[in-house]
This record gives sequence, C-alpha cells and structure tokens, in this order.
Amino acid sequence: MTEVLHPRPSPIVAAMYTLRDLDVDVIVMHGPPGCGFTASRLLEEAGVTVVTTGMQETDLIFGAEEKLVKLLKKVDEDFHPKMVGIVGTCASMIIGENLDAAIKKAGIRSIVLPIDTHGCSGPNTVGAIRVLEVAAAKGVIPWEEFERQREMLTRATELERERGMTSKPYLKPHRGATKLKIANKIVETLKEEGKVAVIVNAKKETAYRFADVLRAVEYARGKVGGSAVYIANTDPAVGLPRIRRYSQDIIRDLTEAGVTVDFLTGGLDEYPVAGEKAAGYLKDRKVDLRVICGLPHAVPDITQRDVLVTDQPRVLRNFLDTGFEYSVGEISTHSALMGATGIVHSELGDTIREVVDEELA
Amino acid sequence: MKQIAIYGKGGIGKSTISANIAAAYAEMGLNTWYIGCDPKADGSMTLLGGRKVSTFLEKMRPGSVTEGEVVATGFKGVNCVETGGPLAGVGCAGRGIIVAVQALDKDYFTDDIDIIIYDVPGDVVCGGFAAPLREKFADEVYIVTSGEYLALYAADNIARGLENLKVNLGGLICNSREVDGEEGIIRDFAERIGSQMIGFIPRDAVVRECENRGRTVVEWAPASRQADAYRNLAKAILNNKMLSVPSPIDPEEIRSILREKGG
Repeated sequence: MTEVLHPRPSPIVAAMYTLRDLDVDVIVMHGPPGCGFTASRLLEEAGVTVVTTGMQETDLIFGAEEKLVKLLKKVDEDFHPKMVGIVGTCASMIIGENLDAAIKKAGIRSIVLPIDTHGCSGPNTVGAIRVLEVAAAKGVIPWEEFERQREMLTRATELERERGMTSKPYLKPHRGATKLKIANKIVETLKEEGKVAVIVNAKKETAYRFADVLRAVEYARGKVGGSAVYIANTDPAVGLPRIRRYSQDIIRDLTEAGVTVDFLTGGLDEYPVAGEKAAGYLKDRKVDLRVICGLPHAVPDITQRDVLVTDQPRVLRNFLDTGFEYSVGEISTHSALMGATGIVHSELGDTIREVVDEELA
Repeated sequence: MKQIAIYGKGGIGKSTISANIAAAYAEMGLNTWYIGCDPKADGSMTLLGGRKVSTFLEKMRPGSVTEGEVVATGFKGVNCVETGGPLAGVGCAGRGIIVAVQALDKDYFTDDIDIIIYDVPGDVVCGGFAAPLREKFADEVYIVTSGEYLALYAADNIARGLENLKVNLGGLICNSREVDGEEGIIRDFAERIGSQMIGFIPRDAVVRECENRGRTVVEWAPASRQADAYRNLAKAILNNKMLSVPSPIDPEEIRSILREKGG
C-alpha cells in the first residue's frame, strides 16, 4: 500500500459531518478547544450548534468526565436539543474517557449519540461509519440503512486509495486553472451541433455547486444549439432525510432552469458506485464531449478527452500530473455551501455563460 | 548534581529503598530531593513521619484548594515531592509525570542540589513513566529486584526500555526475598545484561516495624545493620562509575540462571 505523506481527512471531522447528516441539533466535542475548529465553523453555518469541553493539560492527567457531564447538562438547558452527538478526539480517547458514563451521569432527556472515534482510528470514513453504527444501535436509523452506507463508505475509501487523494505518496494541492479554455471547448462542441454529456457525480452538499454546470450547459445549448444529455446522482429517494432534501432542492432548481435529468445514477451518498452507472449508461450512446463533475475519478473509464471538474485540490493535481489536461477546480466549494438550500453558481458555469453571452453580443 | 531514577517490579520495595537512601544522603549533609512519581503519593511518607502531603499535580489544577506547600521538608531536610496523579481508572498518570517533572525542573530545581531521587512506579509502562529518563533529568537508573523469576523478568523488561532509550543503567539493587542463591543469581543476571549488582539489602523485620511508625530505618533504627545496608548502598550509588546502556536477555536465559544458581 502507498504510504501517504500529505494530511488527509480525519475520522473526527467525518463523524461531525455524519452527525449533521443525521440532523443532530448539537455536537459536543470532548477534547481540546481547537479540535474540529474549522469544521465547527462550517457546521454552525449549516445550523448545527457545536460546543467543546475545551480540555486542558490537567484534564489530560486527571480526566475530564465532570467537564463533559456539566457541558451536557448545560447543552440540555440552553439549547433543548432533540438529539446530541458527542465526538471523541485524540486527547480524550487516548486517556480513556468514558462517554457512556458521562451521559448516564448527566441524565438528560435528548437522544445522545456517543462517538468514540479519534484521529488515529483509520481513514476518515471510519468516523462516519461509527456514527451510523451508534445511530442504528440507538434506533435512529434502520440497520439496513447502516449496512448500505457502510458499504458506500468502504467503497469510497477504496476509490481514494486506488485513484484519488491517497493514491500517491504526495500530492501538492493545485489551486485550479482558469476555466476559459474548458468553457470554450464546451461551447464550441455545442456550436458545431455536437452532443455534450454532463455527469454530476458529487458527494452530498457539494452537488449544490456542481449541478450548476448542468444549468450552464443547458443555457449554452439553448443559445448556440447542439444537444446534451444530463446525468446526476440526485435521486431524492435515497439516503438520510437531510441528504434527500439536498436532492429535492437540486431537482427543483434544475426544473426551474429547464434541465431534465435524463438518468439518475443514485443518491448523493452513492458517489462511490454512481460513477460506474453513469459510465454504463453512456457506453452505447454517442457523445462528443463528456463533462464529469464532483468526483470524476469515481467514473471508471475517464479519458484525457473528458472535462473533469473537482473541488479537491490534491485530486486536481493528480489529474493534471497524469495528462488530463481538461481538468478544472471548483476550489473552496465546501465552505461556500454550508447552509445552502439550492444550487449555487460555479466558476465553470459562470464562465460558460460569459462565453455564450460574448459569442452572441 | 546527580539525578537517579529507581525502577523495578511493582511491590519489590522501590519506595522503601528510595526513602532510606534519601535519608542516608540527608544524614551525610547532602541537599537531597525525593520525587515520588506514584499517583498514590505514598512513597515519601516515611521521610515525613507518616504524613501524607498534598501533591504537585493537585496544586496545579485550576481552582485547586489544596493547602500547604508542594515541597515538604522531611527527615534532616530532605525535600519531598509527590507528583500525584489521577484516581485509579481515569485520566493519564503518564502525562502527569511528564508535566510534573518538567514543571519541577523549571521552577524548583536549583544548582545547589546534590542529589535528586526519582521513585517511579512499576515497570516502564508508557512514555510518561519514562519521562524522568529524558535528557536533563535522571542520568542513571537503578533497578530493584529480588532473585525471583517475575522480578527478574520485570528488571529485564526495564533494561529493554533503557536500551531503547539509550539510558545508562547504574546497577541492580537486590532487595532480598531470601531466595536460595539470591546474590549469585542477581550478580549473574546483572553481568549478562552488561551491568552490576550495586547493593544487597537483606530482608529484616525492622523495615516493617519502622514503616509502621511512618519512619525510615535510617531514622528510626539508625544503629541497625539494616540502616547500614542502606547507607552502604547510598555511598555505592554516589561513587558509582560503572554506567552502561544494558542489553536485555531472553526470558529462557533468566530461567536457566535460576535453575543453575537457585536452590
């Protein structure tokens, strides 16, 4: 296995996001005050309250169970949450803090999900799987849903290892190239009466931005001609309620923009397998240009003629280093999307619109 | 300044030996510090007339209401510190030792100290318990053992830790359990790991009698042969020139020594 040198997503943060997906009201971090700092800020924008026990040196030595009990009681009084997640951190888990005991002592009425994960638990998906397992054990989600998601998350980790951000020892983040060349290529293809396929294979909320490419290509097609086929993993009947809401929002906005998705490849949490379905759907259909957005490396047969759009700076580096010259980044997508409830403009989408408008002016 | 750390199997007599040699050094007029690193904080009791002191780490806690000085003055001016630590089953005792040893070094240890004795619990169980062995702390380690297999096995394991950390072993201290051929066993074992037996402490009921009074033997039975055994050990450590990073041996080799030299 490749020994990876660059920092990569943490099980702690994956646990926090998965708790958000379960619509918990409050996340209690049991650990140092800075642990999960960046993720917390984003999650607050998505409507989740994040608090921390803010462990200090003496808490490492003597334990901090009392602090956790006190904080749980305060959370219960101040925020009246229906559901609370407690996330372990390296510090609290190494010294063996007992989350279950603290919950019992706090005696609060909300459903509490204790997530005993930490930074050294393995790949980030381990944290997500742990949340789902605890949720299933507490009856928050059915076990079948846990099994389905565990399979997806395991596949996601394999995908990253084989073709994604953990496939090379070191990938320097790429800031993303300009979009003009790509936008021109898409508009040219349409102008020459070509057929453009847009595949959105996105992870959860990032689809709010990648779906904009569908709107932009449809806008261009309406203005300059050509034909298009639209594929997306925005099946509103798959996943946790929150994830289904994302799909509903996107379908609603696409409909408004005159876009009909020709083929749904799965739900927004099925990106590790939905790429294969997209490739299968297009196999016997003649298209002149494929534009693959989100996690393009999940589409098994990508070629250097495809346009690849990703929000991952290290994945973008990998594409550009291996000859995929039509690769562009929608960097910082994630931070722009927290709290979004509809499609958000993308840089590539806006560039396509600009090219089309100048063409017609 | 000389800094030594005493290690050895749990219950082998580290604290009794540490406290008695601390008393012996104080008797010699040396500026002596005893640092007990056991969360139970009971190692210095015999130096303090049976008193239990407030611990260093307890003092450090925000909002601590612990009264009294963290450095207690014991028999003939020995400076006694108990690092303390968490209750059994919570927190991290190892982290406590790291923090306490660093804070003591920064704020308490002065250049006029002659000898510091770190009394460290159990085997080297994690990085924290090895903190007294880090650079600028203890220069040499002494391992307390008896001629019994489990004590030697623990000693061997500690030697392995010292080998990894490249720390000098000053020698083995035999705290006798009156095992047949005990002295020969320990001398042989010491030689095989590349060290020496630096002292032999006989088994004597006077130790328990003194302990029951909350005193060291050196204080309560100063004229006893047992007190002299501690004094001799203290001198041997003070003058010890034979320091080396040990090389541990195989458990089977320990058993073979015991079969050959034991009764």
